[in-house]
Amino acid sequence: MRDHLLLYVNGQRHEVRGADAFLTLADFVRERLRLTGTKIVCAEGDCGACTVLVGRPRGRRLHYLPVDSCICFVYQMDGCHIVTVEGLTPGRRENDPLHPVQEAMVRHHGSQCGFCTPGIVMAMAGAFETDDGRHRPEPLDADALRRALSGNLCRCTGYVQIIEAGESIDPASVPPLAQLYPEQAMLADLAGAAAQPAAISAVRGGQTMELFAPRTLEEAVVFKASHPDAAVVCGATDLGVQHNKGLRVPSVVLDLSHVEGLSDVVAADGVLRMGAAATWTAIGDITEDLVPEFHRIITLFGSPQIRNAGTIGGNIVNGSPIADSLPFLFVTHAEVEIAGGAGRRRVALTRLYRGYKQLDLAPDELVAEVRVPLPRRGEILRLYKVSKRRDMDISTFTAAVLARLGDGGVIEWMRVAMGGVAPVVLRLARTEQWLEGRPFTEETMREAGHLAAQEISPITDVRGEARYRRRLAENILVKFYHDAQPAPAGAVR
Amino acid sequence: MPHSGKPVPHDSARGHATGTAPYIADLPALAGELWVDYVPSPLPNGLLRRVDTDEALRVSGVVAILTAADIPGRNRFGSIICDEPFLPSDRVSYTGQPVAIIAAESREAARRARALVRLDIAAEPPVLTIEEACAAGLFIGPRRRIARGDAAAAIASAPHRLEGEFRSGGQEQFYLESQAAIAIPGEQGQMVVHSSTQNPTEIQAVVAEALGLGMHEVVCICRRMGGGFGGKETQAAIPAVMAALVARHTGRPARVVWSKDDDMKTTGKRHEFRTRYRVGFDDDGRVLGLSIEFHSNGGAFADLSTAIMERAMLHADNAYYLPHVEITGQVCRTHLPPNTAFRGFGGPQGVAAIETILEDIAATLGRDALAVRRVNLYGVSERNTTPYGQTVEGNLLPRIFDELERTSDYATRRRAVQQFNATSRTHLRGLAMTAVKFGISFTTKFLNQGNALVSVLMDGTVQVSTGATEMGQGVNTKIRQLVADEFGLPLEAVVVLPTSTERNINTSPTAASAGADLNGTAAVRACAEIRGRMAECAARHFEAAGGPSADPAQVRFADGAVFDVRNPDQRLDFSELAGICRRERVDLGARGFYATPLAGFDRESGQGAPFLYYTTGAAVAEVLVDRFTGDLTVERVDLLMDIGRMINPGVDRGQVIGGFIQGMGWVTTEQLVYGARGELLSHSPTTYKIPSIGDVPRIFRVAVLDNDLNKRNIFSSKAVGEPPLLLAVCVFEAVKNALTYAAAGRPVPLFIPATNEAILMALDEAAKSRNAPKESGVAVESPVGVP
Ligand SMILES: Cc1cc2nc3c(=O)[nH]c(=O)nc-3n(C[C@H](O)[C@H](O)[C@H](O)COP(=O)(O)OP(=O)(O)OC[C@H]3O[C@@H](n4cnc5c(N)ncnc54)[C@H](O)[C@@H]3O)c2cc1C
Ligand code: FES
Ligand code: FES
Repeated sequence: MRDHLLLYVNGQRHEVRGADAFLTLADFVRERLRLTGTKIVCAEGDCGACTVLVGRPRGRRLHYLPVDSCICFVYQMDGCHIVTVEGLTPGRRENDPLHPVQEAMVRHHGSQCGFCTPGIVMAMAGAFETDDGRHRPEPLDADALRRALSGNLCRCTGYVQIIEAGESIDPASVPPLAQLYPEQAMLADLAGAAAQPAAISAVRGGQTMELFAPRTLEEAVVFKASHPDAAVVCGATDLGVQHNKGLRVPSVVLDLSHVEGLSDVVAADGVLRMGAAATWTAIGDITEDLVPEFHRIITLFGSPQIRNAGTIGGNIVNGSPIADSLPFLFVTHAEVEIAGGAGRRRVALTRLYRGYKQLDLAPDELVAEVRVPLPRRGEILRLYKVSKRRDMDISTFTAAVLARLGDGGVIEWMRVAMGGVAPVVLRLARTEQWLEGRPFTEETMREAGHLAAQEISPITDVRGEARYRRRLAENILVKFYHDAQPAPAGAVR
Repeated sequence: MPHSGKPVPHDSARGHATGTAPYIADLPALAGELWVDYVPSPLPNGLLRRVDTDEALRVSGVVAILTAADIPGRNRFGSIICDEPFLPSDRVSYTGQPVAIIAAESREAARRARALVRLDIAAEPPVLTIEEACAAGLFIGPRRRIARGDAAAAIASAPHRLEGEFRSGGQEQFYLESQAAIAIPGEQGQMVVHSSTQNPTEIQAVVAEALGLGMHEVVCICRRMGGGFGGKETQAAIPAVMAALVARHTGRPARVVWSKDDDMKTTGKRHEFRTRYRVGFDDDGRVLGLSIEFHSNGGAFADLSTAIMERAMLHADNAYYLPHVEITGQVCRTHLPPNTAFRGFGGPQGVAAIETILEDIAATLGRDALAVRRVNLYGVSERNTTPYGQTVEGNLLPRIFDELERTSDYATRRRAVQQFNATSRTHLRGLAMTAVKFGISFTTKFLNQGNALVSVLMDGTVQVSTGATEMGQGVNTKIRQLVADEFGLPLEAVVVLPTSTERNINTSPTAASAGADLNGTAAVRACAEIRGRMAECAARHFEAAGGPSADPAQVRFADGAVFDVRNPDQRLDFSELAGICRRERVDLGARGFYATPLAGFDRESGQGAPFLYYTTGAAVAEVLVDRFTGDLTVERVDLLMDIGRMINPGVDRGQVIGGFIQGMGWVTTEQLVYGARGELLSHSPTTYKIPSIGDVPRIFRVAVLDNDLNKRNIFSSKAVGEPPLLLAVCVFEAVKNALTYAAAGRPVPLFIPATNEAILMALDEAAKSRNAPKESGVAVESPVGVP
C-alpha cells in the first residue's frame, strides 16, 4: 500500500500526500505549483480553458490525451505525466522560440483576449501527438481541427483564425512530447509505483477524506463492501462537476481508474464487451468500423477532453435519462455485469433503472462490464441526439431505432428507445407492438409517431419544453423512415 | 517602414499563447490576502428584514461579513440614473443580487460561510416580464420618441399594410474571465484596485463613493480583461467595491473572482426587446410609413438601459430610408439583474426588428427579400436622411449590395434553394441578405473624448498609455503601431502600459467601438507634440553640425533615425536624439487629448447628428433546417464591410469574424431561461450555448472594401468592434426565409433566438398557415394577431 501518489508535471517529479491528493488537477497546478497558464472558466468541463495533456503509460510509451483539468482530481493522475501550457517549451526563456502551435496562434491572430488560448493551444498540441511517439504524418485540416477543438470555447475570435493557425502548422516541426521529456526514465519510475494500490487519508476543512485506488476488481469489491458509502470514481466527468458545484463532496473515494483490465474493450462472436472503465475515446475507436452509427453518436458525446476521461460505466451508473449511450444499449438488448460482495450477476440494461437516477445496484456493488450483442446484417440502426448546439451539448432528446424488415417491406420487428421523455430511458413497447407486421411506409411511421407521443411523459426544463420533446418523439420515427431509404446522390444527411 | 496597415500580432499574443499573460486570478497572492465571496439574494423582490451572520462568522477562517451598514460612503451608484445600491439595505431587487460580502482566509472557508448566512426577506411578488412591467406602469426613464413626417397617415393610405410583434431575447456576454478585482489598502485610507473593467475611471469613482473618499485617493489599474463585450462597462463596479470594502475593513489586500455561475446569475445581459409595429408599403415593398414601439426589459436598476434604448431607436432605420416614421422607446423596470451593455448596445435589437419587418414584407408580396431591401436602401445623394435628421454621407451601401450579390452568387443560389425546397421531404433551405449601418460615437456627447500620455525615454524607447482598456480587441496593438509610426520606430521600441487612472484621467469607458478612434487620436496628438519639440532640437543640431539651416518642418522620423529631408545622409539615431533632447532640457513627455467634433443629438426632440460617421456592410447567409427536429445548420456566409483603411487587418478581421459569430449565437442557440423567481436557469455553459467551433459556417467568406475615404477618423480607418455583430441577423432572416417555403410563401412568425426548438414549433405554425386559405386583398393580418 502506498500513502502517496506519484506523478510528473512538466517533467518534474511530485509525490503527493495528504489533502492535495483530493484537489482538482486545475487547482493543484494553479495554486500549488503556481502554473497559472491553465485557466478556469466554468469548472464543469464545458469550455476547455483548463485543458492539459495527460500522459498515461501504455506499453512502452506515455500516451498523451487532452483532458479538462477542472473536473479531474489529483488522485486520478497517479502514475501519469501531466503537461501544462508552460510545459510545451521546457526551459524556455523570454525570447526563446515558441512551440510551433503557439507560434502559429500568434502569427494568425488566433488569440484576442487570450483567456481561452492556453486551452486551445493544449488541445491543438494534443492533436499532433501520435500513438507511436513520432511526428504526425499529415497536417491538421479544418475538419480535424473542428473535431479536436470541439471542447474549447472561444468567445472572441469566432474560431476562423484559430483554424487557420492550426492548418498552417507543419507537423514535422512539432516536437512529440516523447522527445521533449525523458519518457523512458519517467515510465520506469512510474511503473515502480503503479504496482501498488494507493491509499491516502487526509483532513481538509475539518473533514476527513479517504482515498483507495485498487489495482484489481477484487480489491475494489472488498473495499466497497466495507465502505458502502464510498463514492466510486472512474473518469469523474460527472462527479467532478458535482464536486465543484458543491452538490456532492464525498469523504470516501474509491477510484477505479487503475483497476487492471477494467478499461478493456473487445469484440468477439458478435458481442461487444466493454469494461466499466473503458473511456468513450477507446469505445469510439473500436466502434468506428464495428457499429458506425454508435461511433457517430460517440463523436457527438461531450468533447475530446470529456471522451478521454468519461467512461461507459460512469454513464450507465450516473443514470441520467439523457445519457447518450442508453438508447443504443436499450435497443441492442445490452447487459451489465455487476460485481458485489455476493459475487457477480448480470442484468439486462432495460431492467437496471427503477426511477429517476434510481438503479438496481446495491451499495456494495460495482458495474464491471457491459455486453452488447451487435446489430446483425440486415438490421437497420439509427441513433438520434437532439441538442441545442450540435457539439458539446447535453441532449434534449435521444432515440434509438433498430429494425428488421421482412419481405415486401413489412416490418418484422422494430425496437424503439427514447431518452429525455421520462424519468428513465424508455423502450416504447406499445408502439413497437403496433409496428410489428405493418408495411414500412411514411404513413405507418407517422401513425407510430402519434402512438409514441402518447407513450411518453416528457417534462419542461431548461433544455426544452415538454411539447417540443413530444413533437420530436413523433417526428423522429418519420425521420427514421427517410433515413432508412437508400440515399439519392447529393442528398443531405 | 510604417507598421500601421499591417497585420502585426496582438501585443500580448505571445503571453496568451504561453499562458504567461496574467489576469486578475493569476496574480501572485499578496501577503495576508483575503478571499472575497458574497451571499446572493434567493428572491427577486422583498423587504430585507435581517441578515443573520452569527453562524457563518463561526466558520474557521472567516474574517468578516459585511452588509450595507458597513459601507462608509454613499451606497448608491449609476452613471446615467443614480438608483442602484452596492448592497441592498432595505429591499432586495433581483434574484442573485449580492446582499452580504464574505471575507475569508480561503476560498473554501468563504464558500462554507456563504451557505450559513441567513437572509430574512419578506417576499413580495416580482415583476419579471415586459408585459407585467407595462401593466404595473414600472418604467426606467421617460418614453422617448424619434419621428419624421406622418407615419399614421402614410400607413393608412398605403396599398399594403402589415402589423405585428417581434421579440429578441437577451444575451449573456460570456466573457471567459468572470468579474474579478483585487483591492490593496494604501496609506492614509487610500486604495489601489486592480479590476477587470472596461471603465477604470468609473471604478475609481464608485470605489471612492463607497468608501467615502475623494477620487484622488483611489487608483484603478486594468492590465487586460479576458473579454468584456460590454459586460464590464458598468458591472465591474460591484465586485471591485466588494474587494475595496473588505480591504478597507480589514486593512488587508482582498481578491474577488466570481465563479462563472455566480457571474451569470448576478450580472445583467443584453436587453430583451419587444417591438410592436405597423408598416405600410407599396407593391415593390417600398416602406411608405412605419410606426415602431420598442420596450426593453431593463431589469431592476437603470444601469445603461436608457442609452441602450436610444441606440436601438437610432438603429431602427438600419440601412433603409423611412419617409414617414415614428419610433418610440420605453425601458421597463423588472426584478431581473440590471441589464447592461453588450456589443452593439441596442443596435442589434433595432436592426433585427427592421430586417424582420422587411423579410415579412417580402414574403407577403411574394418577392425576393433582397429586392425589397434594395428599394428601401439609403440613397447616395437622395433618400439619405435618417429619421433623426443626420445625413448618411459617403454612402457605400448600394455598392456593397451590388458587389455582395455578385460575389455571393445570390441569384443562382436563390434558384437552387427554391428547387431544393420543392423536392426535399426532409430539409429546408433559406437564404437572406441583411445590412448594417452602425453609427460611430457615443450618443451621449460628452463621452466622446480620449486622453493619452506619451513618454519618450532618454534611451529612445517610448511608453504610452491611454484610457483605452484592452479586452482582446487589440486596441493597444493599434495604438502601439500608430505611436511607433509617429516616431519612425520599430514596434519593439514602444510599450503600451496598463490602463491606470494614475496616468489617464476622467476617461470614458472603452465602448461604442470607439476605443481606437478616441485614444489612438489622442496618442497621435501627444506624439506630434513631442515630435515637434524633438524636431526643433534636431534641426538646431543638424545646422550646428554643418547641415542645412534649422527648419523643424523639414525634419523626418523614419526607420529609427531622424534627418532633414534636404540632407538625408546626415542622420541621428532616434535614441541619440532623445539623449540630446534630455541634455538640452527638451520636454519628452506629452499628454494628448481628443474630443470628437460632433453636432450631437437632442434626446428631447429626437433630432440631431449623433454620429461622426457610419460603419456599413452586408452579409448573406444560407441555412439548412431539418424538418423533423428543427436542427439548424448555417452552411455558408458571405460578408462584405466598409471598415475604411485598416490600422491592423489581422486584428480587424478577427473583430469582424468574432463579432459575426457572437451575433450568430444571439440569433440561434443562446437562450436565457428563467425560473418563476427570476432566477437564471441557464447559468453556465452546460445549458447556455454560445457558438462552438463546429457552428462556424463551412463556407465563410469575409471581405472588406479597402478604401481611405473616411477622412474623419485616424488613418482613415473605421470602427469595427460592434458593427459585424449586427450582420448575423442575416442568419435569422435566412431561417425565416426557409420557413416561408413551408408556409406556402407566407411570413412565419419567429423570434430571436431561433433555437432548434423554436424552429420546429414555427414549422408547425407554417404547416397550419399553409393549409389555411390565403386571404385575398391587400391587407395581410398580423402574424401573431396583435390588434
Ligand atoms: C462537459 C460534459 C459533457 C458531457 N457530455 C455528455 C454527452 O454528450 N452525453 C452523455 O451521455 N454524457 C455526457 N456527459 C456526462 C458524463 O461525461 C458521462 O456520463 C460519462 O460517461 C461519465 O463517466 P465517468 O467515468 O466520468 O463517471 P464518474 O463521474 O466517474 O462517475 C459517474 C457516476 O457513476 C458512478 N460510477 C462510475 N463508475 C462506476 C462503476 N464501475 N460502478 C459503480 N458506479 C460507478 C460514480 O460513483 C458516479 O456516481 C458530459 C459531462 C460533461 C462534464
Ligand atoms: S474550466 Fe471549463 S472545462 Fe475546465
Ligand atoms: S480569445 Fe477571448 S475567449 Fe478566445
